[in-house]
Amino acid sequence: MGQYTYEILLACGVLSPLVSFWLLVFAGPKLGKPAAGWVAVVLGMGVPLVLATIVLIGWLGETEGGRAALTAGAYRGTWAYIGTIPVTVGVKLDSLTVAMFFMVTLIAFLIFVFSIGYMKGHSDEVAGKSKYHRFFAYLSLFGFSMLGLVLSSSLLFLFIFWELVGLCSYLLIGYYFDKGFASAAAMKAFITNRVGDFGFLIGLMLVFMHLGTLDLDEAATVFAQQYAAGTGIFASHFTLFGWSLATIMGVGLFCGAMGKSAQFPLHVWLPDAMAGPTPVSALIHAATMVAAGVYLVARVYRLMTPEALAFVALIGCLTLTLMALIAIVQVDIKKCLAYSTLSQLGYMIFAMGCGAWIAALFHLITHAFFKAMLFLCSGQVIEGCHHEQDMRKMGGLMKKMPVTGITFLVGVLAIAGTGIPIPGAEIAGRKIGLGGFFSKDEILAVAYVRAFEWDDISKHEEHGEAHGAGHTAAPEPEGSRAMLVADRTQAEHHDEHQPAAAAHGAQSTHDSHGGADRAAIFKDMKKLPSWMFYLAIFTAYVTPFYMMRCWWMTFMGKPRDQHVYDHAHETPLMYVPLVVLAIGTFVSSYFLFRPLIEDASHSATSAAMVLATDGELGTEAIHAAHGWLRWYVGGAFLVGFIVAIAIYRNGLGLAEQLKKVFLPIHTILWNKYYFDEVYDVVWVKGCVLVAHIARFFDTYFIDLLVNLSAAVTERIAAFSGLVIDNHGIDGIVNGIAKTSIDIGGVARAPQTGRIRNYVLFATAVATVVVVCVLAFGMDSGSGAATVASSVAP
Amino acid sequence: MDLLTLIVFLPALGGLLCLFVPRAQVRVVAVLASLATLLVSLLLFPTFLGGAEAAESIFGTSYGKLQHVIRLPWITGEGFEIEYFLGIDGLGFPLIILTTLVSFLSCLASWNFDTWKINKGIRGYFFLFLLLETGMLGVFVSLDFFLFYIFWEVMLLPMYFLIGVWGGPRKEYAAIKFFLFTLAGSVLMLVALVAMYFYGGAAIEAAGGSVPSGYRVTDSGAPVAITHGTFDLIELATNDVIQKYFSAKATLFLGMRFAPIMFMFLFIGFAIKLPSVPFHTWLPDAHVEAPTPISMILAGVLLKMGGYGFLRLCYPIFPLGGEYWAFLLATVGVVSILYGALCAMAQTDFKKLVAYSSVSHMGYVLLGIAVMTPAGFQGAMFQMIAHGISSPMCFFLVGVIYDRAHHREINRFGGLWLTMPKYGTMATIGFFASLGLPGLCGFIGEVWVLLGTFDAGSKYTWAYPMAILAAAGVILTAGYILWLIRRVYLGNEREEYRGFPDASGREIFILVPMAILCIALGVLPMQTVFNFTNGTLDLLLAGVTDTINAMI
Repeated sequence: MGQYTYEILLACGVLSPLVSFWLLVFAGPKLGKPAAGWVAVVLGMGVPLVLATIVLIGWLGETEGGRAALTAGAYRGTWAYIGTIPVTVGVKLDSLTVAMFFMVTLIAFLIFVFSIGYMKGHSDEVAGKSKYHRFFAYLSLFGFSMLGLVLSSSLLFLFIFWELVGLCSYLLIGYYFDKGFASAAAMKAFITNRVGDFGFLIGLMLVFMHLGTLDLDEAATVFAQQYAAGTGIFASHFTLFGWSLATIMGVGLFCGAMGKSAQFPLHVWLPDAMAGPTPVSALIHAATMVAAGVYLVARVYRLMTPEALAFVALIGCLTLTLMALIAIVQVDIKKCLAYSTLSQLGYMIFAMGCGAWIAALFHLITHAFFKAMLFLCSGQVIEGCHHEQDMRKMGGLMKKMPVTGITFLVGVLAIAGTGIPIPGAEIAGRKIGLGGFFSKDEILAVAYVRAFEWDDISKHEEHGEAHGAGHTAAPEPEGSRAMLVADRTQAEHHDEHQPAAAAHGAQSTHDSHGGADRAAIFKDMKKLPSWMFYLAIFTAYVTPFYMMRCWWMTFMGKPRDQHVYDHAHETPLMYVPLVVLAIGTFVSSYFLFRPLIEDASHSATSAAMVLATDGELGTEAIHAAHGWLRWYVGGAFLVGFIVAIAIYRNGLGLAEQLKKVFLPIHTILWNKYYFDEVYDVVWVKGCVLVAHIARFFDTYFIDLLVNLSAAVTERIAAFSGLVIDNHGIDGIVNGIAKTSIDIGGVARAPQTGRIRNYVLFATAVATVVVVCVLAFGMDSGSGAATVASSVAP
Repeated sequence: MDLLTLIVFLPALGGLLCLFVPRAQVRVVAVLASLATLLVSLLLFPTFLGGAEAAESIFGTSYGKLQHVIRLPWITGEGFEIEYFLGIDGLGFPLIILTTLVSFLSCLASWNFDTWKINKGIRGYFFLFLLLETGMLGVFVSLDFFLFYIFWEVMLLPMYFLIGVWGGPRKEYAAIKFFLFTLAGSVLMLVALVAMYFYGGAAIEAAGGSVPSGYRVTDSGAPVAITHGTFDLIELATNDVIQKYFSAKATLFLGMRFAPIMFMFLFIGFAIKLPSVPFHTWLPDAHVEAPTPISMILAGVLLKMGGYGFLRLCYPIFPLGGEYWAFLLATVGVVSILYGALCAMAQTDFKKLVAYSSVSHMGYVLLGIAVMTPAGFQGAMFQMIAHGISSPMCFFLVGVIYDRAHHREINRFGGLWLTMPKYGTMATIGFFASLGLPGLCGFIGEVWVLLGTFDAGSKYTWAYPMAILAAAGVILTAGYILWLIRRVYLGNEREEYRGFPDASGREIFILVPMAILCIALGVLPMQTVFNFTNGTLDLLLAGVTDTINAMI
């Protein structure tokens, strides 16, 4: 397929949900239920899915050089000028885009279908008016925004779609806005995201000012050049908390990701966001939108300094640990999944920070499948159990909902990183396992190397680089020189797409230079503190525990609430998407996505700075770590499962006892470390307090001054009235009386005399001033004329 | 007849007609007059079409290229000449369209005059309304300072009466406050007017009594000779001799350097109008008391005169003043943004909240202008237009619900989106535009100003913290707007509002154009605004920067 075909297909894929949105806005009420839903399914996501599939198939048929040419030649048009700098609108066309586009459309399509089944049984009428079409209109708008986000080639457009997905999230969390908690949760989500966006904006400003462009590729090129030359943003000596300006830029951009991906300490909105309908939780707050933060970091990876990446790793590490611990004590099935989402997002962000770009995105995609499935399962459960979300009232549902129970279990196995860590057992060249088994192991291996063996490697690299220039042409099979190999890869790419390079010569030359410069940055990456690795590995044991706990409490054991149990049932329209997603979980773990992401890592990062266990990018140390770590992490799922089953095997009795033993810890976790309370007092109440102070100041200080000056004027005016006009005597009496009665409140009932006084006074003052000015003006004018004559030509 | 003259005086003619038609027909005549003005003003579009390629022929190669110029001697005497001098460029043109549009929509919003609490004097109301429109249009097209000043005052009085007669319970207080505040600014402007005339005259005298004009040429192509002081705003800005004299160190006024002090006089006059903290307290009072259509005009057009004044008078004529006061102005801008937002957050009166949000939004205009960067100027201009659309929309939304509920207490509302779904949808668009959501008009201005401010960091170090503080404003804005939406539109339906009719056809007709523009401006900023403004703004800024660099 040609360049334009790809671009037009993708663009149509983005615009189709927008058409669906407008259609539903205008014709939605007439279409009614369920026609409005089917419009969204077909036009909102069906069309994009078909287009995405065509693009994917076409893309898989391209050669490596062909892909690079397509990436380099992608459309850029000028949307507007900021000052003199053009803001381009265009298509970011690379393997990552194709993979993400396909993943988003596929999952969204399934969830749209699920939604029709879900909304069937839900009352959408409030006060006699149906909101059904609104739900699907918002979903369509979300589809448009999310796909636009994936396709954006410019940071500004990324930001625009970024905010739009935030809006959709706001509208959908608040879908049941007649309920107080839903509208509160919606508001909380939007404002918390805005806090992150504040950082994003600062990052944008720094990019704009110092790199002079908002285009992702151009910015990366300029950044690398400036790094090499020590100019631009690297010439600044400004530091804050020991961060250079370039680091602040990276951290600022990452703040946006912290908001959207709900990273500590901006995580507070995501659990509350579960107030939205369950399909929304699955689509937006588990699979796609919250992962946009990770996607953003992947896209701005080339603008990150080592210090900024270290900060990213720190935040990710704190999030993944703290949130996993909260998940242990949750009893609401959706909240439990929400905290597990937070923890998994933490893993992705942590991976990005460590340099495991590929593993982070791979985890993003596999997680999207199994987490969407888990949420839909929970939706099925909640729907089936008559809107009961408390797991303490469930139990034994396996008999009533076998499909849901099994698909849920698949999700649990995937998130727990289940697999067979024995050499030899392989499918498609990879070991047998699900989702997290691959991505989490890889993240941990990279983290291990970054935490324990990094100094040795980076020294070795330096050494290797000094000698390596000559034998880069002959790659060693297990080369420990990630950078050099990567440089070679860059060079090869460069050669392969010579025809395209003719058109985009300058850019692609810069790219390859950029690669080399990035290698230097890569070398500057510091060792990570070892506790980060320990926390990550500790959490790998916690995850299977809380997930198995969740599953066991829901589906196994004896029914704890007969009413709920009796009501439980499942419907095909809802479980068919579940089955498809379960298959998707298998497929995504093995096929398609991993190669695409690896491929993307060549162009979307400078390959030199990516650490991975596979292929040419892997270093010996990482391979080694990956090898032996399996024996420590590979069995983690078993340990977690066994402990969970042991505790919950006989109902909640043992859990209650344990709760009493660990009461202080349980209380802290139960209250989510008191973040909500602290934020409420410090930020919300604090802000409102300051606002009231401002209002008070405005009303009683500034206005007091205004009114006082008016009152004084009134007196003077009355006086002048006396002097100028005998009839003014009455005026002064009234004026004094009035003023003495109420100095602050001026002229509540103005009599004609008083207005006349004002105008009179104003005119008098104006006259006096004009006369003065004329006198002075003429005076100093002629006085200065002699001076001016020497100035004038 | 000249197009600009027609546009300016058409409303006033309609207003006169209103005085003589039967009572029932008054509003028809008024709406037709404002519609005619809108349609005629649209005829200006072809002049400015052509985009970037034709920019040079439309906007010229330096500041001062005008379109639709008409200049006739008006009051002439020994050594002075006041002209009837109208013309438009990238500054005036978009504001003309904004004015005619907002006037038409708010005229339609006055359609239900008979149902108002004070429904006497319909002829007077529409006469003053249309006179006000003439005053506003006159300000945006007159390029002779004297004429400008007259239109400025012409606009003041109708406003005073419109608030003072047809306003709410504290209307007299609000009207007088508005009047006195503006008058105080006018007095300072008057001082500057006279001073500029005489100092200009002195400069010419010092240079030999006759200097070539900075921008006017005769038919033969030679520059026109200027022999005495002038009120010509373009001449004052472009004439080298006058400019050098104005910014020379030795040129003093009351013992202070001329350019900075004159700049400050004008600035205060316009800052009151903008309004900037601490000159803003007239605005909430005026808005709360004014009838809905008048609030729309006030927010949509009157506030823009402040920003227009900065760009037309302060910066081109006294560039040095801009440099001299940059820090102060930017500080005032940032304080307005944050303080306005905080005050808005604490309000319980719906209309007062929207009024304070105007203070906050117009702070971006001041900040963008103060830093003197291309993006800053462009963003400020865009923000004026964008706010000129979103703010009247918000005020009208308040008006719609006030007409039904007869109160404006935010905390007494709730669930209105359920009660009135169409109205709720419109409100969402309006308030999200105000919030600065990407894809809607409020976003562009804010981002351009923020980037422009940050960009100024290379000349002013203080620009960084300013930009960051201003960016923090986006959090506060989201805070108060979402909280407002939550309290008024979300939540469950309330018994007392059950059965309120949804927005009527007329109300939808007023809201839809504004909603469409909110989206159009946000999606296509170039095609809707920047193509018409940037030509002049960039040249203006280039001139300002040149003068400053030459002086330092």
